[in-house]
Amino acid sequence: MSWNKVAVVGAGLIKMGELFDQSYEDMAAGAFRAAVAAVDKGFDPQSVEAAFVATQRGTLWGQEGIGGNTVPSAIGLAGIPCTRIENACPSGSDAFRVGAMAVASGVHDLVLVIGVEKMRDKSTEEGLLSRAAAGHPILTRGETAPVLFAPFATRHMHEFGTTREMLASVAVKNHHNGSLDPYAHFQNEITIEQVLASPPVCSPLHLLDCCPQTDGAAAVLLAPADRADEFTDNPVFVAGFGVATDHPYLHEKTNFVGLQATVTAAERAYAMAGVGPSDIDMCEVHDCFTITEILDIEDLGFFEKGKGGIASLEGETSLTGRIPVNTSGGLLAKGHPIGATGIAQITECWWQLRGEANDRQVAMRNGFALQHNVGGRGSGVSVVNILTNIR
Amino acid sequence: MTSPTRILGLGSSAPSLRIAAADIAASWDRSGGRSQIAACAPDEDTLTLAAAAAQAALLAAGIDASTVDGLWWGTTRPPFAEGPSHAVLASSLSLSDHAGGALFAGSTHAGMDALLSATDAVTAGSARVALVVASDALVPGLGTSFETRCGAGAVAFVLAASGGTATIAARVTRTHPLLDRYRGDNESATRDLYDPRLFREEIFLPVIGEVGTHLAALDPTAWSLPDPDGRLGAVAAKLLGASTPSSADVYGCIGDSGAAAALLGAAPALDVAGTVAVIAFGGGRTTGITISAEAPVPGAAAVLATLAEGRPATYAALLRARAQLVASGETIPMGVPPESALFARGATEMLQMLGGRCADCGTINTPPSIHPVCLSCGGSKLDAVPLARHGIVHTFVINQTMPAPFVAPLPIAVIDLDDGARIMLQVVGDGTGLEIGTHVDLVLRRYAHERGVPVYGWKARSRTTGASS
Repeated sequence: MSWNKVAVVGAGLIKMGELFDQSYEDMAAGAFRAAVAAVDKGFDPQSVEAAFVATQRGTLWGQEGIGGNTVPSAIGLAGIPCTRIENACPSGSDAFRVGAMAVASGVHDLVLVIGVEKMRDKSTEEGLLSRAAAGHPILTRGETAPVLFAPFATRHMHEFGTTREMLASVAVKNHHNGSLDPYAHFQNEITIEQVLASPPVCSPLHLLDCCPQTDGAAAVLLAPADRADEFTDNPVFVAGFGVATDHPYLHEKTNFVGLQATVTAAERAYAMAGVGPSDIDMCEVHDCFTITEILDIEDLGFFEKGKGGIASLEGETSLTGRIPVNTSGGLLAKGHPIGATGIAQITECWWQLRGEANDRQVAMRNGFALQHNVGGRGSGVSVVNILTNIR
Repeated sequence: MTSPTRILGLGSSAPSLRIAAADIAASWDRSGGRSQIAACAPDEDTLTLAAAAAQAALLAAGIDASTVDGLWWGTTRPPFAEGPSHAVLASSLSLSDHAGGALFAGSTHAGMDALLSATDAVTAGSARVALVVASDALVPGLGTSFETRCGAGAVAFVLAASGGTATIAARVTRTHPLLDRYRGDNESATRDLYDPRLFREEIFLPVIGEVGTHLAALDPTAWSLPDPDGRLGAVAAKLLGASTPSSADVYGCIGDSGAAAALLGAAPALDVAGTVAVIAFGGGRTTGITISAEAPVPGAAAVLATLAEGRPATYAALLRARAQLVASGETIPMGVPPESALFARGATEMLQMLGGRCADCGTINTPPSIHPVCLSCGGSKLDAVPLARHGIVHTFVINQTMPAPFVAPLPIAVIDLDDGARIMLQVVGDGTGLEIGTHVDLVLRRYAHERGVPVYGWKARSRTTGASS
């Protein structure tokens, strides 16, 4: 029996990309407007009682020290309670979970969960790559983002015979899905050959194995389940969620073929939702790199450990496959504006559960969609949210 | 006559890069002969060279580092012009917190100064076991004739009042307060000779002849002689009636190793019984000693093979490694300033590569300062233990994409050490040949030169790939 205490009554996002012409506040306002506009029976923006803001990189130039409180001001709701949630790459999905708990607790009825991230205001070197010099001065020296996942690719290939072609098939599939998603950063198809021939970024990962740096924002509106009908006849409910942490350093991992945080978070979410992997119709999972999606679909229970690569190559995760994965284009094609990523994934699940995903629509046989992020140093935290259209 | 000082063992090291003199000279439209020099990679310096030589010497001598009473180190370029150079080296070698000794700098005579001072300490009884290291990595002015000769290397000796196979005996010094090669305060490059003929006729040959004549009277079987320009070593040997000095092989392999040159030049000759005459020169001082070996000195046999290891590099790579060629633009600062509290808490554990072994379950948690409880069982009694210095690669990456000051490609590996600990470290070299299962040794390297401060830690070095030596 699913939890179903909280409904998602609106969801929306802005077109992802290198949004040099939009401020952080512009993006937040755009995502909020999109979520409000998506509410079937109308929604008074002023009725939002509280907001949870997911922004991971809190060091925007000129905004150092500002937490979530810039967002209510930017969206015309100055004065409401607002809390920033930072939980690494799952910041958005964790803000969603916290927002759902705030509604379920009865403290607030109508809650905005919004993710906003500026990835491109800083140069690549001073922005994303600067983490090479962050953290422990010896143990994490040189640890850029792909260093967190590439060792898993090396080991997955070694233990299971996973190939670069299998990794590449993930990027090809997600770019295809992205080409069908008007919100995706990249809307072009690519080939396995292009992935293989792209320059190495962090061997064995090459450029097209990696997600881009993307600015973006996404928002959802939450209400108590028993008030959902005020807003829509086609509601989506929070069926369950799970969060798990793991040791923060790579040298503390006991294996390099899976992410324990994902496994544990998924167990908790499945138990709360009263479902298992075979009940999930589609999922939006954390594909910051191609190998990450392969780890995810194994760790989430969709495929046996070691079989994720061949399953991807054989199309089992395509729009018409056994379990469609990252129908929106995923982080690889839609983009990875970190704080917004989880909320954008939830928006895709919301559309799929409501039958509104247009050319990307997959068959929703059981009425369950799963959203997943994993991240942080050493992939030390994962969040899984399960949504349903079954009351 | 006081009791002689004995040599228990010796070790040597050379940096990773080798550059043909012709390649350097060609960059300045000159011809440069067939010689080569050794030079430091960006993560090597006089301290990492000293550490490697010292470890090798302790191993050859069969001496545990904790029993060393003092470290005497000579180099023209300690990593800090003023700072904890000696303490960092001593800690990285896991010497006792109470170890004494001294750091000598100021001229290429510093290596001999270190040896003589250690010898005196042993003779006086203030040190039972003395560790002597001479290391250098010369930095010449660009475009000087000296540039094709400037090399790098290190040698270390373990001394004691008894045992071993060799004795440090005669000693003669001649001072001559004239400028030869030098650098002034705040100068980064060593100046070339003002006038080679003046140097040869008025400075070098007179003092070498005078000191060498004293040593020649002791009938040495081998010589280590300074060779400032690639010719004067042979001239000096002829002057003294010596056969080809053993130092010639060392100069040919790594170039002029500055403060290390005299002692390193003697090291190969100590592989056989005999008396080696050693002359150190620099900073207006010339000192001659003899080392008499009644049997091969442990470690001497490995010297030339150790110095021969290295990978070819271009002149541009050499200049980048010496920070004589620097890209424009900003570099990304280390998140943790080297002067800050995290280093105060973690400096020893990282320099000595310590882990915290759980008293309950035996799991090694690395590093101790960030693990108040055991990862495996939650136990809170963790004992600091040195990690094994050898292991096997469990998985790895090669990072090709990093901002300055990082140098790509940078291999990073997760390593299962022999004691069961798992650690992730950078791997020296470019990762060629690195595989799951590759055997690696841990070696001290300079991880960063941050806000002017060298930051040292351990890296993995493949045992099976020459490219990553």
